[in-house]
Amino acid sequence: MNTYNPVNALIIFVSISVLIYLIFRPAKGWFWLIKNSFIFNEKTAIEDILKQLYHFENSGKDANISSLTGVLKFKDSLVIEVVKLMTISKLIYFEGDVLKLTKSGRDYSLRIVRVHRLWEKYLAEKTGIDKLEWHDRAEFMEHKLSLEETNSLASQLGNPVYDPHGDPIPTNSGKIAKVKGVALSSLAVNSIGKITHIEDEPDIIYKQIIAENIHIGSQIRVVENNTKRIVFYSEGEEFKLAPIVAANLTVAILDPTVLDKEITLRLSSLQENETAKIVGISKESRGESRRRLLDLGFVKGTQISIDLMSPLRNPTAYLVKGTSIALRKDQASKILIKKD
Amino acid sequence: MSQKSIEKIIALSSDLRWQIGDDFHDNLAEGIYADASEIAKNSVISNNKKKRFRLDTKIDKIVTSKTWGFPIMFLILGVILWITIEGANYPSSMLANLLLNNFHPILKTLAASIGMPWWLDGFLIDGVYLAVAWVIAVMLPPMAIFFPLFTLLEDFGYLPRVAFNLDYLFKKSGAHGKQALTMSMGFGCNAAGVVATRIIDSPRERLIAIITNNFSLCNGRWPTQILIATIFIGAVVPASFSGIASLSAVIGIAILGIFFTFFVSWALSKTVLKGEVSTFNLELPPYRPPRFWKTVYTSLIDRTIIVLWRAIFFAAPAGAVIWLISNIYIGDLSIASWTINSLDGFGFLLGLNGVILLAYIVAIPANEIVIPTILMLTVMATGIAGGEGVGVMFELDSASETATILKAGGWTLLTAVNLMLFSLLHNPCSTTIYTIYKETKSVKWTVVASLLPVIMGFVITFLIAQIWRIVV
Repeated sequence: MNTYNPVNALIIFVSISVLIYLIFRPAKGWFWLIKNSFIFNEKTAIEDILKQLYHFENSGKDANISSLTGVLKFKDSLVIEVVKLMTISKLIYFEGDVLKLTKSGRDYSLRIVRVHRLWEKYLAEKTGIDKLEWHDRAEFMEHKLSLEETNSLASQLGNPVYDPHGDPIPTNSGKIAKVKGVALSSLAVNSIGKITHIEDEPDIIYKQIIAENIHIGSQIRVVENNTKRIVFYSEGEEFKLAPIVAANLTVAILDPTVLDKEITLRLSSLQENETAKIVGISKESRGESRRRLLDLGFVKGTQISIDLMSPLRNPTAYLVKGTSIALRKDQASKILIKKD
Repeated sequence: MSQKSIEKIIALSSDLRWQIGDDFHDNLAEGIYADASEIAKNSVISNNKKKRFRLDTKIDKIVTSKTWGFPIMFLILGVILWITIEGANYPSSMLANLLLNNFHPILKTLAASIGMPWWLDGFLIDGVYLAVAWVIAVMLPPMAIFFPLFTLLEDFGYLPRVAFNLDYLFKKSGAHGKQALTMSMGFGCNAAGVVATRIIDSPRERLIAIITNNFSLCNGRWPTQILIATIFIGAVVPASFSGIASLSAVIGIAILGIFFTFFVSWALSKTVLKGEVSTFNLELPPYRPPRFWKTVYTSLIDRTIIVLWRAIFFAAPAGAVIWLISNIYIGDLSIASWTINSLDGFGFLLGLNGVILLAYIVAIPANEIVIPTILMLTVMATGIAGGEGVGVMFELDSASETATILKAGGWTLLTAVNLMLFSLLHNPCSTTIYTIYKETKSVKWTVVASLLPVIMGFVITFLIAQIWRIVV
C-alpha cells in the first residue's frame, strides 16, 4: 500500500470508467460496432434491396444503383456485388440504368413486406413494446421468419388487412389493399377527413408525429394550410405541423354533410366539475391495454366524470359505473368523449 | 365434401374478411360490451343518489390532496417504521436473552456432559445454533409487527391511494405506481417485497420493481444502521444532539435508498429494459373497516413461518461456515484470517476493511448476523481481549463496549459512513436472491439483481473514501 494515493486511485478509476463507456455505450460503442461489422449476410442484403425496390416502384419513382446505395446501410461495393448476384438469379433486371423487379422478385419483396408489417401488427397487439421501436424490430424479424411461421402468425392475428401505421399487409397470395386518402399537406382549408396512415420513416419525422400525440383513425378538420404550416383540429385539440411532417400523414376525405355536428373530445380534456359520455376508444389504444379499458367499463355510452386528481395532477381517477379508476394522462387521451 | 367446394368456401371467407374490414373485431367487442351495459341498465335497479359514501369521498379528497397527500403518506410510513423498530426492541432482547444468554450455555453444558468432542460442539452449537437463534431474535419481532400493520392498511384500502399519489414520480422513472407499495414492503423484508411485485401486471415494470427492491432498507439492516450511527455519527456532535444526529443519519440512508430506487428504475428503463411500454390502470376501491384479528393472525403466522424457514435453510449453513472458517487452519492462520488479510487491500480502497467484507460475504444468507460476525472477526484479527471465543458470534449489551472493540479494529468515521452505505448498497440476502429467481424464473435477471447493487456499493464507497482522504 505504499504507492497508494487517493488522487491516483481516482484517476485510474475515472479512466477505466471512460474506457468502459467508450466500449459499451449504446449504438456507438466499439464493442457493438465491431460486433455489427461481423454480422453481414447475403440474404439480408438481397431482401433489403428487394424491399427498397418495391417501395421505389410503389411510389412511382425509378431506382438506380446510386439511389439504392443512398437508402441502404451497407457498403457501396457490397450493394453492387449483391445486385450482380440478383440479376443472375433473375430477381431483378436492368432497363438502361434503372433497376426493375421481375415477377419472382416482386413476389419475394411482397413476402418481406408482409412479414415486416405483420410483425409490427404483432408488436402492437400482443406486446407492450413502444411504437418508436416497432420499425427497427420488424426490420430485424423480416429476415428471420419462414413462410409457415409467417402464415401462422397472420392467422393468430386474425389475418389483419392493415398494420398499425395503416399500411396494407399483403396476403399470402400477394393481394394488397389500397390505402385510402391523400397526404395531409395537400388538403384544402375546411376539408374534413380521417387519418388512415402514419408513415414511420424517416425516423426523425415519425418521432415528431408521435410527440404531437396525433392518433391514427382520428377525425380532423383543416383550418390553415400554407407553405409554412398546416393547422388542423382533431378530437378537440389543435395541431400545427410543418408541411414536410404533414406529408407523412394520409387522410381519407369524408363527406361533411353526413357527419354529426357534436364534437368528439379526448377524456384528458375533461374538467373536474363536468360530466361526459364515452364515444369510444381511439385506435391508438391497442391490444391488452385496450381490452383492459373495455373490461373496466370504458364502453360507448357510459357516463363519466372526474373522481379525484392526484397531488401531481397525473394520473386522474375517473368515476365509471360507480367505480373509481385511475388512468394516466396518455391513456385518458385515447378515450373519446362527448361532454354533456 | 369435394376438394373443390372446400377451396371455394375458403376463398369466399377470405373475400368476406376483406370486405368486413379491419375494425370488425373491435366493433364486435365494443358492441357486446355496449349491449351488456344496456341490458344491465334496464334491468338492474340501483340507488343512484347514494353512489359512494360521503365519508369515502371526504377521506379521498384529503389523502390525495395537493397539500396533505404526501405529508400523510410519509407520516404513516414513518409511524409504522417507528412502531416496528421501537416495538421490536423488547421482544427482540427477550428472545435474545432466552436463546443466546440462557439456552446457549445450557446447550454447551449439555454437550460437555455427554462428552461431545470440541469441534462437533463448536460446529453445531456455536456455529449453526447461534446463527439460527440470532436470525430469529433479530428478525421475528419486527416482521411480526411491520407486516400486520401493513396488511391492515392494505385491508383498509389506503395502499391503492399511495400508488395513485406517487404514480407520476414512478412514471417519470419508467416504472409503475404500484412499485410504491412493493418498495414500502421492502422496508419490512426484501423477499416479501419481491413477492409483492406480483400486483404489477406489466412484465417490464415488475422486473424493475424486483431489481430495485433491494434499495429499500429492510428490517435486517435497520439495527446495523442504528448501532453504527449511534456509535460513530452521534459521537461527532455535542452529546445533546447525538440522538438527533444519529437518527437523521439513518433516515438519510433510507431516503438515499429511495433515491436509488428511482434512479436505478430510470436507468434500467432507459437501457436494458427499454421498449416495453407502461400501461397503468388502478382501481381505487371503497374504504372498508379492516378485519383486524383475521389480518393480524394470518399475517403473524405467515411471517413466522417465513422467518423460521429462512433461519433454518439459509442462516444455519452460514453459521456453520462462520465457525468453520475461523477454526480451520491453513499453515499458522485460520481461513478467516487469510481471507481478511487478502481482502484488506481492497477493503482499504473502499474505506472499509477485510473484516467487514468477509462478514458481508459469509452473512449473505442473513444480514442480521453482520454485526455479531464483525465483532467476532475483529476480536480474532486484532487479538484484543473480549468476545466469546474463536468462531463464536457475539453482541455486546452497551454501544460503548462495541465502540471500544470496533475502534481497536481501526475503525474511523469514514469506516462507519461507508459501512452504512455498503449496508444499503450490497447484494440482497440469499432468501431474496432465491425469491427473485423463483419470481422471475431467469438466471440472467437474478444475477443482475444480485450484482448491480453490490457494484454500485463498491463504486460509491470507493469514491467517498478517496474524496474523504483528499479533503480530510
